[in-house]
This record gives sequence, structure tokens and C-alpha cells, in this order.
Amino acid sequence: MAGENGTGGTPLRGLLPLAALLVLWQLTGDPDSPYFPPPSEWFAAVRPLVEGNELLPAVAATSLTFLIGLGVATLIGAIVGTLVGSSRPADRALSPSLEFLRALPAASLVPVATLILGYTTQMKLVVVVLPATWPILLACRSARRSLSPVLLDVPRTLGLSRRHRATKILTPALLPAVLLGVRVAAPLALIITLLVEIVTRVDGLGSVLGAAQANFLSAQVYGLLTITGLLGYLVNWVVTRADNAVSRRMRGEP
Amino acid sequence: MTRSSEPTGHGTGSAAGTDSPGATNGTDGTDSISCEGVGVTLSGSSGALDVLGGVDISVARGEFVSILGTSGSGKTTLLRVLGGLLPATTGTVRCHGSVVTGPADGVVTVFQDYVHSLLPWRTVRRNVGLGIEAGCDRAERDERVDEALIMVGLRQRADEYPWRLSGGMQQRVQIARALATRPRVLLMDEPFGALDAMTKASLQDQLQQVQELTATTVVFVTHDVEEAVYLSDRVLVLDGSPAAIGLALDIPLERPRHQVTTKESADYLRLRHRVYEALGHDIGERARLGEHDHA
Amino acid sequence: MPEASAVASRVPPSKALRGRINAVGAAVFVLGLGVWELAVRTGLLDFAYLPPPSDVVVGLGELIETGQLQGALAHTLFVALSGWALAGLLGVAAGSVLGLVRPVWRYSMASLEALRALPIVAFVPVAVLLYGFSARMEIVVACYAALWPILLNTISGMRTEQRLIEVGAVLRLSRPAVLWKIRLPAATAQIVVGLRLGLSISLVLTLVAEMVGNPAGLGFLLVDKAEALQPAQMFAGVFVVGVAGIVLNALLMVAARLAFRGQLNAAGEGG
Ligand SMILES: Nc1ncnc2c1ncn2[C@@H]1O[C@H](COP(=O)(O)OP(=O)(O)O)[C@@H](O)[C@H]1O
Ligand SMILES: [Mg+2]
Repeated sequence: MAGENGTGGTPLRGLLPLAALLVLWQLTGDPDSPYFPPPSEWFAAVRPLVEGNELLPAVAATSLTFLIGLGVATLIGAIVGTLVGSSRPADRALSPSLEFLRALPAASLVPVATLILGYTTQMKLVVVVLPATWPILLACRSARRSLSPVLLDVPRTLGLSRRHRATKILTPALLPAVLLGVRVAAPLALIITLLVEIVTRVDGLGSVLGAAQANFLSAQVYGLLTITGLLGYLVNWVVTRADNAVSRRMRGEP
Repeated sequence: MTRSSEPTGHGTGSAAGTDSPGATNGTDGTDSISCEGVGVTLSGSSGALDVLGGVDISVARGEFVSILGTSGSGKTTLLRVLGGLLPATTGTVRCHGSVVTGPADGVVTVFQDYVHSLLPWRTVRRNVGLGIEAGCDRAERDERVDEALIMVGLRQRADEYPWRLSGGMQQRVQIARALATRPRVLLMDEPFGALDAMTKASLQDQLQQVQELTATTVVFVTHDVEEAVYLSDRVLVLDGSPAAIGLALDIPLERPRHQVTTKESADYLRLRHRVYEALGHDIGERARLGEHDHA
Repeated sequence: MPEASAVASRVPPSKALRGRINAVGAAVFVLGLGVWELAVRTGLLDFAYLPPPSDVVVGLGELIETGQLQGALAHTLFVALSGWALAGLLGVAAGSVLGLVRPVWRYSMASLEALRALPIVAFVPVAVLLYGFSARMEIVVACYAALWPILLNTISGMRTEQRLIEVGAVLRLSRPAVLWKIRLPAATAQIVVGLRLGLSISLVLTLVAEMVGNPAGLGFLLVDKAEALQPAQMFAGVFVVGVAGIVLNALLMVAARLAFRGQLNAAGEGG
């Protein structure tokens, strides 16, 4: 029973219902159904995209937007979060504005960004960065707030320079919080990347998916949905792995 | 023995340190809770572990028995078996004559970690009432809750949430919750283990009074020798691997006992010495006893 | 201001009061708007379609006057709340079963985790495919989106601390009593967290569904105003969306605190 308590320990036999559903779908599904084409049709329907060299560039565009967006969000979130967390007055002064910005649903940013920046890659990035920043910013803020004052006295007694204070004390102390934030932000950033692409049709996997739906290519829609799922799974896996590895390192375990 | 009305099966001998022939207290008719040949094997990360083997215990009605052992010796495991929370691998547990297969009626366990044992969303009053909500009407429940709260001295804090109270108070809430069910047997697992010395002493005396008042049978697990000797009618030392009862010692000290005078009496010191010896602490303990003798 | 200072002098600077009135924060917010206004008016910020806040206020007035805002807001709120409520029922029920019955959990959790990896927005095209451009499609999307946080939080909330279950056993509580008096209350704070997350996600996905599917509600209003090149009205719409999110969340928290005071206090969320 002990192994089942962690999320990593979810028993694989739990995949049975999903597998059974897919098999049943495959066996009983009508290949020409406009709503529920069986799984074998999905792959057949995605094949033209691969052959027409559409799928790979789309996946690449989505990945690029996602990665750059997440990277920028991490930088902004870590820096602003640390600053806001290190000063109570700054925190109090900024928090209502930050709270309001945070309350804006990502979807509502899309028309704003398209109107101001047009249907461009920058527009996509802006929409991805804003919502993805919050988890990192909040995690950093609370970690910086709860940082022990003793730890901050250490560099002072050792006579370290400001730069060394930042690199040797603050960064390692806040890194776990940043990673925690990234762990939440990464799936969010992927979702929002797809969201922008579905809504604006500016290249990427989301726009291909949206086009497939507009053309009633139901099998292709399911196929692309599966591909986004794989992408989502990959992102989760990488982020969880990285987070675990780093936090183990920080705790001094091999 | 002040509680002479409660037969313990060992007569009313006044000489300190009478060794009982075994842990078993041969008065079947008055046994409150007992176990015979209990062995427990737990599966740990490094394979199966024989925690207990061949444990025989028999506790008379109204008796206060302490189970003493070093940390990790299997005290909690034994108490969980007695309380029906853990099935014994071998042997049987009986409570008032019937074999225990799950938590028995009238037997309540008080856990060491009071923080996790109280419902944080209920006030003190509603925590104490938890065990009697099904069986009693409102008026009776209120009365019994009040009675239990008065016994532990928490009547004034009834409407607080437990997490607003100090550790000692929280443990008293847990004890009151057990008392409100009017248990016949109280199983306590290092109930004062996490408390500071002063709080511990005052709770020991409160427990003494409550037991005097209610004549509840108490099985008290502790790793604190002084506490065991001070509170008990009988001390059982758990040791070995798998653990069994190594020493069973009657504690015929007068009741009511007193934190200062009882602990200064020669009988108390001699009993304490014997227990320490059984635990393998003889050298250091002899030195301290010598000091006392010179004083 | 005189009122505020009178209150402040009578009441000690309690945590609650400081938490409620944040004059500095409000001033910074207003200041930010002022800077925005100035920057646009003086041409410092020069985007063709970035209106100054004063224009946005005018746009808001226009939206209200024509009744567009009220209609769109009502539609979006109705959809988001219906989807969310449905998800609440489904999520808490299914989450309880999954959290309480180990075999069910063992034989389905991995499937759920696999499904969860599918980004929820990617389901919008599927829903449009299945249900067309309808309010029903929106509700399905909103419900699916809100279902995940509610379901997962309920499952993990139902993993009651073993000690509390033992307390129930020791006090001889019946199985229904353990469920009702121990497990559910112990899970409440976490279920409320799930409901809050679910509410904000259902609002987001409702907007997406309106942007790419059903031409109704605030989501459609936003893209419509953007395409009609009426940035002032569109920004007003964005503002309303933000406020709606904040108000919904606040209402939910107030309701939860009224209903589950003890549980939320215990979880440190009593406020
Ligand atoms: N659930 C368990 N699974 C495996 N081993 C356990 C379990 N609980 C306790 N043990 C082991 O049993 C032994 C006795 O534990 P315990 O009864 O808690 O000791 P005590 O209460 O005397 O400190 C210890 O070695 C402990 O590691
Ligand atoms: Mg123990």
C-alpha cells in the first residue's frame, strides 16, 4: 500500500479502463462516423499532415512559443517575486494591482494582444507570458518572505559583495520555489499556447487543430488531440523530473 | 494498596518489590483485558519484522498497568493489538471475556499525537462529544461532555478550537473525549510523551484523580520509568526481539501518590531501581541511588 | 478619509483591518491608470489601438447603454456557473468514490492521469465538433474544464489521515458516521480549493468556447469588438471579465466560510 500513496506510484493497471474504452471504440466504431471515428482512423487522418510537412513545423512552432514564453515568465516571475517578497511596503503597494492582473483570464488577453500587436508571434508570446508568470511570482514571493533573516545575515558577516549575496545565498535559497512555480506554470503555458493558437490561428498545433475542426475532419481532430496529449505528458514528465532532481540535489542526496 | 476493594490478584502485600511469578494475573473472573501468546509480525521495508512474540498480559478491573520499554521496542504495536486496531499474527486478545477482533465496546485508545487525533474543525465541546453522539440524546450528551471537561479541567475552554490550545490542553481534550464515553478500559500510548515536565506532572496527577474517581482500568504505555512507577499498580517491562514481557513488578505504593513525597520515599526509589536494572541501566542508576543514600 | 482615520484611531491596527483597507495599494492602482492615461495622451505609448483609461470608461458606458454588456455577461455567467455546478456535483461524487474505494482508485486513476495530460483547451474543437455552435457546447466545455481540479482535489482530500480514521474506530462510530463526521469534513477545505480553481477555469474555458464556437457572451463580445476596431469597448469588456472573476471567487469564499467555518478555520483559510 505504501507505494500507492505517492502520485508516482499510481498502479499501471489503472490504465485498463482507458485501454478497454479505446479497444471497444475501435471494434464498434463506424469508420465514417462524423462524431466518433475509431482510433485507427485518427492516425490515418493525421498522416496527410505529416506527409504534407505540416505537422512537424506546427509542433515546432508550438514548442518554441511554449519554451520562450515559459522562459520569459520564469525570469519575470522570479525577479518580480523576489523583489516584491523582500519588501513589505512594496508588497502592500503592488498587491492590489497584481491581484487584478492575475484575475484577468488568459482568454481575455487574446483579443487585447491581437488588437495591439497584430496576429504575430510576439502577440502569442505576450499572451503566454502573462498568466504563466503568476505561479512563479507567487511561489518566489512567499519563499522570499519566509527566508530566515539569519540566512541573510550570513553574507553580511562574511563580508560578501552584493553580487555574491545574490548568487551564493539568494539564488540557491529561492531555486526550489522557482521550480515549484515552474512545475505549475509549465502545463499552464502549454495550455495557453494552444489556446492562443486555437483562437487566433497563428501557426502551431492549435491552429492546425482549429482548422481541422472548422473543416469537420473529425478523425484528424482526435488524432491532433492525442498529439497535444503526448506533448502535455512530455512537458509534465520533464518538469517533474527536473524539479525532483534539483530538490534532491539541494537536500544533499546523491 | 488503597484500592483494596479492587482485587488485583496479588493480595495486599505491603513489602515493596514483590516479584509476581509472571505477567499473568490469574483472576479470570475479574480480568478486564488480557492477551495470551500474542505475536506480531509486520512487513517493513527490509522484509518481515517480528515485533512481538509470546506476550501474555492480564489486567484486572480497575487496575493501572504500565507497559514500559525503550523506543522501538513494540509498545505502540502491543497497545494497538489490545485496542483491536491491529490484528495479532498469533495469539488472542480478550476483553471482558470475549475475543477482540476490532475495537471493542468500552475500550478507548488515547493516542500520543493529540494534534492529529482531534478534529480541528470541531470545537473542544464537539470533539469531546464525538463518541457519544449516536447513543445519547442531546441533554445527556451535554451533561456527559461537561462532566468529562470538568474532570480534565477544561470546562472554561469548551468553545475554543483545539488548535488554539496548548499541547497539554489538547491532550486533556483527547482524554476527556475518551472519558465521555465512560470507558471501562483506557489504553494510553505515551499520552504525556510530547509534553514538558511541569505539564506532564500535573496531567499525571489529574489522571490519577480521574482514575480514582471512575475506577477505570488503565493500560498506560510509556518509556519514562519514573512515570510508570509513580502512576501504576503494576509495571510490565517489554524487551527482547521479538519483544515479550521481561519484568513484571507490583508497585504497592500508597495512594494517593504525591509528586514530591512519593518520589522521595525509599520504596519508590527501590522500585525505580529495579525497573532501571531490568532495562539495563544499572550502573548509572546505582551511582544516583548512592547519592540519595548519602543525603 | 476622515472616516477611515477615525476608525483607525479607535480600532487597534488589527490584522483583519490591515488586510481589508490597503490605501497605498489602491493609490498605486489608480496611479498606474493615471500613468497609462498620460502615456497614451502624450503619445509616449503609441499603439494604434491602445485606448487611454478614460476612453475605456466611455466604452463601458456605451456597452451598458446599448445593453450589450448585460446580455453578454448574463450569458457567460450562466454558462460558466452551470458548467461549474455540474462539475461540482460530478467531481465531488466521483472524487469521493475514487478517494474512498481503493479498488476503484487502483483500477482507474492511471486512466484519469493519462486523460488529464490532454490540454483542456484542445477539447474545445472536439466539443464544437460534437455539439456545434450552441450554449450546450459551452456548458460541456466549462464543465469538463472545472471537473479536473474538483475531482483531483476531492480525491486527495478524501485521503484522510489514518489517525483520524482510527479515532472513529476507537470511538465505535458507524461507517456512515465516519464518512459524515470525519472524512467529509476533513476533505472540505481541499474540496473548496478545487471548487475555486474550477470556477476560474470554467470562466476561462467559457470565454474560449465563445471566441471560437458559440457567438454569444463576453468571449464573443471581446473578439467582436476587436474585429470591429472598437478598442475602448473591448478593453471595457476585458475589465468586466476581470471583475467578474474576482467577484465570483469572493462570493464563493464568503459562501464557503459561512457554510464550513470550522473546517476552513482549521485549514488556516478562515480569513
Ligand atoms: N506499520 C509498520 N510496519 C512495519 N514495521 C513497523 C510498523 N510500525 C512499527 N514498526 C516497527 O515495529 C517496531 C516497534 O514499533 P513500535 O511499536 O512503534 O515501538 P514503540 O512504540 O515501542 O516505540 C519498530 O522497530 C518499528 O520500526
Ligand atoms: Mg510508540
